[in-house]
Amino acid sequence: MNSEWMDDDHEQKVDLRLWSKLLQYTLHYRRTAVSFTLVAFSLAASDLCFPLITGKLISDVEEHGADVDLWSYGILFGIVSLALCASVWGFISCAGKIRTHVSHDIRRDAFEKLQQLSFSFYDTKPVGWLMARLTSDCNRLSNILAWGVMDFIWGTTLMIGIAGVMLVYNWKMALAVLSVVPLLFLVSVFFRKRILRASRRVRKSNSKITAVYNEGIMGVRTSKVFVRADENLRDFDRVAEELRHHSVHTAVLSAIYLPIVLTIGSIAIALALSTGGHQVVVAGLVVGEVVMFMYYAQLFFAPIQDMSAWFAELQMAQASAERVLSLVEAVPEIRDNDNLQRRLSEHGSDGFPDEINTIEFRDVGFRYREGPQIIERFNLSIQSGQQVALVGRTGGGKSTLINLLCRFYEPTEGEILIDGVDYRQRSLHWLQSKLGIVLQQPHLFSGTIAENIRYGDPDADQNSVENAAQMAGAHDFIEKLENGYQTDVGEGGNQLSLGEKQLISFARAVLKRPQLLVMDEATSSVDTETERQIQNGLQRVLSGRTCFVIAHRLSTIRSADIILVIENGKIVEKGTHLELLQQRGSYYSLYTEQSMREIVRIDNVIDDSTSA
Amino acid sequence: MVRHSHLSNRGCEVALHSYPAINHLERGKDRCLGREIPAATACLATMEPALKASVRRTLWDLTAGQRMRYLAAILAMAAGTVFLLLVPYVIKRALDGLTSGEATMRETIIPAALAIVGFNAIHGGFTYLRGRWAAEASEGIVRDLRHRLFAHLEALPCSYHDQADTGDLVQRCSSDVETVRVFLASQVVEIARVSLFLIVAIPIMLLQDLWMTVLSLGLIPVIVFFAVRFFHKVRGLFQKVDEAEGRLTTVLQENLTGIRVVRAFARQEYEIQKFLEKNGEFRDLEYKLFMTLTNYWTLSDILVFSQLGLVLIGGATFVMQGNITLGTWVLFWWLVRTIIWPVRRIGRVLADTGKATVAIGRIQEVLTVETESEESSSEIPVQGNIEVRNLSFAYADGRYVLHELTLSIQEGETVALLGPPGSGKSTLVNLLVRLYDYHEGSISIGDRELKTIRRDDVRDAFGMVLQDPFLYSKSIRENVTVGSANAADQEVQESAQAADIHENIRDFHDGYDTMIGERGVTLSGGQRQRLAIARAVIKQPRFLVLDDSLSAVDTKTEAQILRALDARRGQQTTILIAHRLSSTRLADRIFVLDQGRIVQQGSHDELLGTDGPYRRLWTIQGTLEDEISRDLSGGRGA
Repeated sequence: MNSEWMDDDHEQKVDLRLWSKLLQYTLHYRRTAVSFTLVAFSLAASDLCFPLITGKLISDVEEHGADVDLWSYGILFGIVSLALCASVWGFISCAGKIRTHVSHDIRRDAFEKLQQLSFSFYDTKPVGWLMARLTSDCNRLSNILAWGVMDFIWGTTLMIGIAGVMLVYNWKMALAVLSVVPLLFLVSVFFRKRILRASRRVRKSNSKITAVYNEGIMGVRTSKVFVRADENLRDFDRVAEELRHHSVHTAVLSAIYLPIVLTIGSIAIALALSTGGHQVVVAGLVVGEVVMFMYYAQLFFAPIQDMSAWFAELQMAQASAERVLSLVEAVPEIRDNDNLQRRLSEHGSDGFPDEINTIEFRDVGFRYREGPQIIERFNLSIQSGQQVALVGRTGGGKSTLINLLCRFYEPTEGEILIDGVDYRQRSLHWLQSKLGIVLQQPHLFSGTIAENIRYGDPDADQNSVENAAQMAGAHDFIEKLENGYQTDVGEGGNQLSLGEKQLISFARAVLKRPQLLVMDEATSSVDTETERQIQNGLQRVLSGRTCFVIAHRLSTIRSADIILVIENGKIVEKGTHLELLQQRGSYYSLYTEQSMREIVRIDNVIDDSTSA
Repeated sequence: MVRHSHLSNRGCEVALHSYPAINHLERGKDRCLGREIPAATACLATMEPALKASVRRTLWDLTAGQRMRYLAAILAMAAGTVFLLLVPYVIKRALDGLTSGEATMRETIIPAALAIVGFNAIHGGFTYLRGRWAAEASEGIVRDLRHRLFAHLEALPCSYHDQADTGDLVQRCSSDVETVRVFLASQVVEIARVSLFLIVAIPIMLLQDLWMTVLSLGLIPVIVFFAVRFFHKVRGLFQKVDEAEGRLTTVLQENLTGIRVVRAFARQEYEIQKFLEKNGEFRDLEYKLFMTLTNYWTLSDILVFSQLGLVLIGGATFVMQGNITLGTWVLFWWLVRTIIWPVRRIGRVLADTGKATVAIGRIQEVLTVETESEESSSEIPVQGNIEVRNLSFAYADGRYVLHELTLSIQEGETVALLGPPGSGKSTLVNLLVRLYDYHEGSISIGDRELKTIRRDDVRDAFGMVLQDPFLYSKSIRENVTVGSANAADQEVQESAQAADIHENIRDFHDGYDTMIGERGVTLSGGQRQRLAIARAVIKQPRFLVLDDSLSAVDTKTEAQILRALDARRGQQTTILIAHRLSSTRLADRIFVLDQGRIVQQGSHDELLGTDGPYRRLWTIQGTLEDEISRDLSGGRGA
C-alpha cells in the first residue's frame, strides 16, 4: 500500500551534512564499525594477493620449469583463500549487523517521535507517507550505511592497492591499464543513474497496475451494471502496456550498458597484453607478469561498478535521507514547557490538584495553520458532572472544539482553564490520562477483545473488564461469541461489525474511569439491533459523568444538561432541550428534521411487528 | 509490499559474472533476493504431480506468440558465449607465442589484443540482442497474462466475487505474476546462459586436455548441489523474516491510523514498547538470516577457491610435466574463472524455480473459474412490464433469501420496496440485472424470460444505483459518464443537478475535472450516493433502480432528489428501495417485504387504510409529533 509514496523522489545533490548525521547511527555500534573497516581492508588485501600469487607462480614455472616448489604455492594459495573467505564472512556479518541494527534504530527513533508529534503534523502527512518513511526509506538508508559504506571502503582500498602494486611492478603497463579507468567510471555512473531511474518508473507502473487490479475487483458490480468490461479492459491494457514498455526499456538499458562496460574493460586487458607483450619481446619481461596485469585489469571492474552503483543510489536516496531526518528531528508543537518538565522530573507531578472540577473556555479562537477561523471567541464554563451536548451541522466546528478540549490542538487565541489554570501550564500526560474518548470511527487494535478493552487500563483484571463491558452494553454479544473475551478482533478489528466495535470502544473508555468523557457519536447506518445496543450502552456510560458529546441521537441530546448549537464556530443557541424547543430556532428545526430521519425507519416497525 | 529494492537491476550481476573478478556485489545483493512470495514457497511440496504437469502446460501455452523471439534470444546468447569464451583462447595463443619466443608485435600481440577487444565487442552486440529479445519476449508474455487475468476477473460472476478475498486475488495478480515474470525474464535466461557456458566451454577444454578438463570442472557439481540444498533448507527462514516484517508493518499501521486513540488513552509508552518488541523481533530474525547466508557464502567460497586452486596448482604440475603449454594452463584457469561464478549462482536459481510453478498454479486457479457465459444480442429492445413469478433464490451458501416471490411492475410505474435488512430487496434487484442467475421461478421483462436476454442488453436498459456505490479513481465527469461515454457537458450538468450534487461539484477546485480518490478529493457518503444517482440518471434508462441510495443524504436533499425523479415520472420504470417513509410516499405502489416474502402491497393510501406494518409506521411518526408538542406544552407549563 505504501509503494505509491515510495517513488516520489528524484536525484539531488548529495548533502554530506545529512549523511554524517545518519552515520551517527552506525557509530552506536563502534566495535562492529571498527571490525567492519578492518574486514573491508583485509578483504581488499586478499583480493589483491591473488593476481600476485598467480603471476609469480606462472613466472616461476616459466623460468624454472620443473624445479618450482608447488607445495609452498599451494599452501600460500590456501592461506590467502581462507583469509578471503574469513573476510567475506566478517564482511557480511558486520554489514548485516549494521544494516539490521541501524534500520531498527532509525525506525525506533522515528516511531518514538511519532508518538510525541502533534496532530497538526499528522494532518499534513497521510498514513501511507509515514509508513513509507519507516519501511522503505529506513531499509534504503541502512543499506547505504552498511553495504554502501563498506563497498566504498573496500573498493577504494582495492583500487588504490591495485594501482600501487601495478605502479611498483611496472609503471608503463600500469598506466596503460589505468588509462581506461576514468572512462569506465564515467560510463558506469551515466548508465547507473538511467537504469535506476528507469527501474523506478517500472516500480511506479507496477503499483499503478496493482491499483487497477484492485479497482477492477472492488468495482466489479458497478462495472457489470454499467457494462464497462471493454472500457475497463482498454484502460487496463494501457497501464499494462506502459509497464511492459518501462520494463523493456530498463532491460534494454542494461543490455546496452553491459556490453559497453565489458568492451571498455577488454580494452584495458588488451592494453595490458600489448604493452606487456611488447616488453616481453623487447626487454625480456616474464609472461607471468603480463598475466598478472591482465588479471588486475579485470579486478578493477568490480569496485568501479559497485561504487558507481552506490554513487547513483546515494543521489537518489538524498530525498529519503531528508525525509527521515526531518521526521526524527521534528519538534512536537504541543508539549510540556521547559518549566513544567523540570517540575515534573523533580516532583513527579505538575503541582496542581489531580481532580477536575471546572473547565472554562475563555475567548477561545482557533484556526488550522493558514486556514480560515474555525472557532471564534468561544466562551463556556462547566462544572464537574455536567453533560454538554454539541449539536449542529457538519463543518460547524464541533469536532474542533473537542480536539481543543483534549489538547490535541491548542487554541490560537484565548485560553482553556482547568480549575482556573491555563491547561498549557499543566502536564499533557496528566490531562490525557483523565480523558476517556469514544470516536466516531471506533479504532481497535489487533488482539483479543479483552486486550482491546484493557487498553483503557492495562492493570485491570478480568472482572473489571467484564464490568466495563456490561456497562457499555457489550457484554451480551461478547459472551455469545465462541471464544468470548478471548475472541481475536482481527487486523483493525475487522472481524467485528461496526456496531460491535463501537460497543468495545465504549467499554474501553468506561474501564478507564475517566473524569472527563468525550464522545463523537457514530452516525453511520448500523442495523437496528446494534443501534439499540449502542443506545442502551450510551445511556449507562454517560450518566453521572462530566461529558462532552457531539450528539446525533435524540435521546442523548434530550437528557444533556447543556445543549450548544454550534454554527460557524460560534454558539448560536444554548440551553436545555425544553428551553431550546421553545425558542423555535435552529435547534427546533434540527430536532424535528432529525426526528423524522431517525424514527421513520421501516425496519424498527417490522421487527416490532414480527416480535409482537 | 516494499522489498529491499536497491541495486535491483540484474544487469550488474551479469557483468560481474562475465568478468569474474570479484562478486561482492552479488554477495551483498543476496540478502535482497528470494523474498518475494511467502505464500508461494509454502505449498510446492504438496502439489500433485498431475497438477504440476498441467501447470507446465499452462506455462508453455503462455509463451505462444513469443517463442520465436525467445529462441532468437537464446541463439544470440549462444553466439555471444562462443565469442566470449574465445577470448581466453586468444590469450593462450598469444602467451604460447611469447613463451616460445616466436611472437612478434605485429603478427602476434597486436592481432591478439585487437581480437580481445573485437570478440568482446561482438559478444557485447549479441548480449544486447539477447537482452532486448529476452525482455521483449518475457515482458510480452507477462503483459498478455496480465491482460487475460484482468479480463477474466471482470467476467467472473458476482457469486465468485462475493466469496473471494480481494487481497488474495490482488496478490495473485501482482506478486504471483511477478514471480512468473522473474522466472521468464531472468531465471530461464540464467539457466540457459550457464548451460551454454558449459556446452561451449567443455568442448574447448576437451580439445586441449582431458585430465585438465576433469580437474577444472570436478567441484562444480558439488558447488551447485550445495547451493540447491542450502536454499531449499533456508526457505522457512526467508518466510519467517517476511512474516516478522508483516507484523511490524501491522503494528505501525494500526498505531498511525489509531493515533487519536493512543493519545486519548495516554498509551504512548505502551505503544512504543509494542513497536520495539516487533521491531527487535524483525531485526533479530533478519540478522539471523544474514548470519545464515554468511555461512553459505563462506562455505561456498571455500569450494570455489578450492576449484580455482586445483586448476592453478594442478595446472602447474601438468605444465612442469610437459603435458600442456603455459598458455593452455592460463586458458583453463581463465575459463574456469569465467564460468564458476554464474555456475555457483545457478544453484540458487534452481532452488527458486519451484516458486514459479506454485505461482502459475495459483494463477491457473483463478483462470479456470467459469465466467459469465458469452451470449449473442437479439437486438430487441429490453422494455415492458416486469413480471416476477414464484421466484426463489439462494446464495452459494444455500441460504434462501427469496421464497416464491411474485410481483409485477408496470412499464412507467414507480414502485417502492420496503423491508428490514435481509428481507431480500437488494437480491431482487440484483437478479433483475442478472448479476446472479436464478434457477427457481421466473422473471420476465416485456414477456421475454430474463435468462434468454443477453446480460449486457439487460444491464444497458437499467440505470442502477447500488447500495454501496463504487466510484472509480477518475475525474468526476468520467464517473458520471461511465455508462454513457458520449454524454455532452450539458447532460452531465443536468443529471448532476437532478441528483442535487451540481453545487458540490462546482465548489471543488477543478469542478467536474476534480479527481476522486487518493490523489484527489474524498467524497462523503452522501456525495457518493448522489454521484451514483447522477451517473444512473444520465443514461436515461428505461428502468431506474435506487438501492437504498438516499440513506446518507439529509432530508432536504432527499426531498429535492425525489422531486427531480418525480418530474420524470412515466418516462421510466422506477424501483426504489428505502428505509424511510419519506422516500416511499411518492411511489405508485409499495411492496413491503419480510424474509423474502411480500407481506403487504398497495398504494400509500391503501396501505394506510389496512392494519399492518405500514400503518404502524405511519402512526409512530404521528406519535413523534405529539411528543414534541407535549414537550413544548410541558415546557410552557414549567
